[in-house]
Amino acid sequence: MAITNFDKHASAVTFAEAGEHQTAREMMADTKSPKRVPVKAPVKKPYLQTVIFGIISLASYLYIFSNEKLVTDVFTRGGVYAAWPIGTALFFSFVHGAFGSNLLTLLGLEAKKK
Amino acid sequence: MKKLLIVLILLGLLTPLLASSALAGGGAGPSKDILKGVFTQVDAATRTAILKKDGSGELLTLNFNADMNSTDVRVNKKVMVSLDKNAGEKVIKDIDIMFMDMTTGKIVALIVVGLIGGLLSGFIGSGGAFVLTPAMMSLGAPGAVAVASNMCHKFPKAMVGTYKRFKYGQVDLKLAAVMASTAIIGVQIGIKIQKYILSQWGNAGSNLYVSVIFVIVLVFVGGYVCYDAYKLSKKQDNNEGHQVSGLALRMQKIELWPMIEFKVAKVRISAWITVPVGLATGMLAATIAVGGFIGVPGMIYVIGASAVVASATELGIAFIMGAWGSIQWGLSGLIDIRMTLLILSASLIGVQLGALGTTYVKDYMIKIVMAATMLIVAVSRGAKIPGYIADLGWQAPLDHGLAVTLNSVSFWALILALGVAGGIITVAMIVGMMKDKAEKRMETAVSHG
Repeated sequence: MAITNFDKHASAVTFAEAGEHQTAREMMADTKSPKRVPVKAPVKKPYLQTVIFGIISLASYLYIFSNEKLVTDVFTRGGVYAAWPIGTALFFSFVHGAFGSNLLTLLGLEAKKK
Repeated sequence: MKKLLIVLILLGLLTPLLASSALAGGGAGPSKDILKGVFTQVDAATRTAILKKDGSGELLTLNFNADMNSTDVRVNKKVMVSLDKNAGEKVIKDIDIMFMDMTTGKIVALIVVGLIGGLLSGFIGSGGAFVLTPAMMSLGAPGAVAVASNMCHKFPKAMVGTYKRFKYGQVDLKLAAVMASTAIIGVQIGIKIQKYILSQWGNAGSNLYVSVIFVIVLVFVGGYVCYDAYKLSKKQDNNEGHQVSGLALRMQKIELWPMIEFKVAKVRISAWITVPVGLATGMLAATIAVGGFIGVPGMIYVIGASAVVASATELGIAFIMGAWGSIQWGLSGLIDIRMTLLILSASLIGVQLGALGTTYVKDYMIKIVMAATMLIVAVSRGAKIPGYIADLGWQAPLDHGLAVTLNSVSFWALILALGVAGGIITVAMIVGMMKDKAEKRMETAVSHG
């Protein structure tokens, strides 16, 4: 019959009561607490961020493509107007890039954790 | 802190160079014989058209060339007009509509090419550019607008890719700054050579030079990368890290001041070794528009970085150089932001997918994808060479059927390069992810068992 932790603790108490403190300590040291398996915290999926960035990105696309006149006239004037296409590309890279990043996380596509 | 300081100093030194090149219009901008504006009036009787010039609003009366008629001039559409100086005063040579009409087919094509181009870029550090420019041109964009719009899409994509791969600990920022600063000088040298060839042998000579360089570099470098990847794949069991090439080991032994330590790349090497690699990257970027084809192999085989770090660092270089190029093209007002944004819509997702893909594959897989892409692109460019030789008058003009066949071989080889690279990356990534999942399941089973 297997000796359980309870049996070991009971025996250690008996030795301790009998004044054999050293033996009791040794017996207690032998007992192992069951290995705790860490409970994984539920992974929060970025649903809200994906939706928010998705809406901003889509709205920006719709705005640009429904105002082609602005794009073809102002954006191509050259000189200081170069800030328009470059700024727009940067804006989309932040907004649409964040949407893409969240979307990939949502789809479960994440980098390998080492 | 010290590293950051060096990077900031380098960028500080770089800024005046960037600004001066950008404000001067640079060599990569459009020729001065090209006018940009809108035709307001056409007169068939006098064979003239009035162009309202962009920016100044000045009205110019331009003459038709001998082959033109009034229907060739579209009123109220933004156009690029090239003038034929040899034919007389203000004679039109060509008219290009700057902004093509977007159809559903064109939109889908741009998105698909953008997605695979982004995937490739995130994985091997460069790519997409070599196919995007010809793709945009075949959809109807003028060459200069295609190059400008591609450049403007390249730097935000590279920025997102660099950020992702920096998070995975793969980007060596210091190496990127050092390489980019010398690459920009390389671009200037490359442009000077191009201009010299253009003045000596004209457009056909320039095209031939670009194609020959393309094929030589791609066949030699791509062939070597392919051989190296094959060697590594055969002993993949003990290939968790990367093996530094013999050449890089010899280079690292040269103790010539100033020695620079690149912590992420785990390399200590003399600046005198990084300078030629950076210059070559820039020169190639100015010649064939894809500097990464020499930058990444240079960082692997000459400097001694791993393929993962080299490809990630290349993204950083692409960001700096792309931003510089975009400012130049933006100043000339040639960016079609609609094309840029359509490509970005897919490539910003593709680049992140490619970047995370690198965490699942072994080092040699990056080399395989790079070699496959380079060798197929070499075929594409090689198919153009006979036509350019004929243009120079060094051989009889090509038969019409042959010329058409060679052109379609060239175009489809580019598409094939994208397809093959996209396919290898996707399969390698899926296999890597499945293996990782199986390993994790095994670990969980052992810890519970």
